[in-house]
Amino acid sequence: MFVFLKKELLLLSRDLHALMLLFLMPTIFILIMSLAMQDTFSERSNVKIDYLLINDDEGESGPWLAQQLLDSDNFQRIESDLSLAEQQAMTRGDRVQFLVLIPPVFSDALTDPEQLEPLKIQVAPGTPRAMVLLFEASVRDLMGQLLLGAANQSADKASFELPLEVETLFGEEGELTIPTSVQQSVPAWLVFSMFFIAIPISTTLINERSQGTLDRLMTMNVSRVRFLASKLIPYLGVNLMQVVLMFMVGIWVVPLLGGDALTLGSSMAGLLVMAFAASFAAVAFALLVANIAKTSEQATLFAGISNIILAAIGGVMVPRFIMPPVMQDISLISPMAWGLEGFLDIVLRNGGVIDVLPEAASLMGFGMLMLLLSVKLLGRR
Amino acid sequence: MIAIEGLTYQYASASEPALVAIDLNVGDGELFGLLGPNGAGKTTLMSLLTGLRKVQNGRITIGGMDLSHERGQVQKAIAWIPQEYAFYPSLTATENLNFFAGVQGIRGETVQQRINEATEITGLKHVLSKRAALFSGGLKRRLNIAIGLLNQPQWLFLDEPTVGIDPQSRQFILQAIRDINARGTTVIYTSHYMDEVEFLCDRIAIIDHGRVLVCGSLLELLAQGKTGAASISLQQQLPQGFVLPESVEISAGGLQLRIESITELDLGKLLQSLANDGVNIARLNYGTYNLQDLFLQLTHRSLRD
Repeated sequence: MFVFLKKELLLLSRDLHALMLLFLMPTIFILIMSLAMQDTFSERSNVKIDYLLINDDEGESGPWLAQQLLDSDNFQRIESDLSLAEQQAMTRGDRVQFLVLIPPVFSDALTDPEQLEPLKIQVAPGTPRAMVLLFEASVRDLMGQLLLGAANQSADKASFELPLEVETLFGEEGELTIPTSVQQSVPAWLVFSMFFIAIPISTTLINERSQGTLDRLMTMNVSRVRFLASKLIPYLGVNLMQVVLMFMVGIWVVPLLGGDALTLGSSMAGLLVMAFAASFAAVAFALLVANIAKTSEQATLFAGISNIILAAIGGVMVPRFIMPPVMQDISLISPMAWGLEGFLDIVLRNGGVIDVLPEAASLMGFGMLMLLLSVKLLGRR
Repeated sequence: MIAIEGLTYQYASASEPALVAIDLNVGDGELFGLLGPNGAGKTTLMSLLTGLRKVQNGRITIGGMDLSHERGQVQKAIAWIPQEYAFYPSLTATENLNFFAGVQGIRGETVQQRINEATEITGLKHVLSKRAALFSGGLKRRLNIAIGLLNQPQWLFLDEPTVGIDPQSRQFILQAIRDINARGTTVIYTSHYMDEVEFLCDRIAIIDHGRVLVCGSLLELLAQGKTGAASISLQQQLPQGFVLPESVEISAGGLQLRIESITELDLGKLLQSLANDGVNIARLNYGTYNLQDLFLQLTHRSLRD
């Protein structure tokens, strides 16, 4: 196997176009998108911000505030009968942007500081900061109106401190740092570029097929499985190198250009699991493309188009949370969405290995299917 | 020995079989020529002999090993040199040779030893560090052959190894094939160049439409008809300034002389003058068909059809 590994790396090192495609393209994407999309999500005027709301206030202020939010054109309340913990889990998973918790004594607290129990806005980790500020300002505005009303009724007792807390929901371990656009961009463009491995792999394999090298190897008692494994293993290594390089760009290069630095979350094991699973899926998909295509031109075209479609569906180009619910469901057919969500679980939601297991298992299953089809197709040829 | 018995093969998408009840034997140490026009079934036969395709009907044994049951063992003892440049152009000759040696399980000091042997026969020593993409057609052919020699095959399958190269390279390769055969390797050789087969091969099979039309030694085949034609295979090229009669055609990179019609007296004179200039004769056929005529008579089409 070592001879195959050495050969593949030599071939790749002499293929300037492949190197640019695999390493330069995603670097440029990450730099551009991280800087360009910094704090811009809030400018999407026609997109409604989803929120959950639990009102435990038995007075008049809680229901009034809930109604005002409901009447707003900017926000969309997601009705839910789920428990508090389940609604927090939805928020933590970026399925809604905010969870508003109105406490039982909210009306009283407005006029009696002794009973102060604040209203809480819990924020999904993937929510852009500008969107948080927008939502928080709206709630503050409503609370200010309530407070002024209370002050008019009982000036001597009104509290002039706004009882409001805003917190971002991360993984079970608790709060880390506020996520930035680079936390979204790096995983997205990383997953995108990982799937572009299809182009160099298919070019090499198709050349081997058309030049008779593959047949020659088969007469040297090289089995189909060994041959495909000889592609899988070195390119897994190449994909893992991509992961390391792209994270380095996010951590060190983006800040040099004025952007926020990438933080990797707290689970290196989770990142490793995701990096391996996404690489396996990408390389196995590439092998299938190489076995389907007859010429390298076909492979380049097919790989390019399918990657862009999978990326568009999978939330690489447009974050999933701003897609309509139907599109969010459709996006889950894309393996890029599994890869992206897995990486976001770690770097955005501070998740661990357990959190990424569903995505990693889906990617591994997808990869196994692609690999089995590749072995079949290689045999038929 | 290679023994092919009742070999029939049909592609899934084809209405007729590509090979029909082929029976052939190739003895150890032979240089065996396989001739046939395009689509005759040569490539299918080669791919079955090298284990690329599975035998459907019939039996192939190589060195007593049944190819259907001992493919792995057979493949360790054979080598196939395809018509295409089946190596990696962006790797150097050394990198290519190291890779193909490694794939075949050749390890340690043996790798260098085998590379030395293969590149000596094929004359590649001076270009080992050069990328294969930069080679001339002739050097590419030689590298293709060198890769096939790494496992020191007992049986070597060569598929048109001289297509598209200059006469000097062609002559070099033909001589290399003779040298390889002289070391005891059985060679199965397909070519479109009739003169090459005539020059190289001990025995020849002509196949067409998936059937063996005729098989035998060159003399046996050519003796099927009498003409005044002669063909002379030389061991070295003619010296500078050697004057040949106008009726003599030269081919195979200057190693093959063919005369459409010549009297015994004139042939004697020609042989004498060759001997006087120190030119050794490898083979002489006189008064028989030439292979080209025989081929046309059997297949009713030329080799390039």
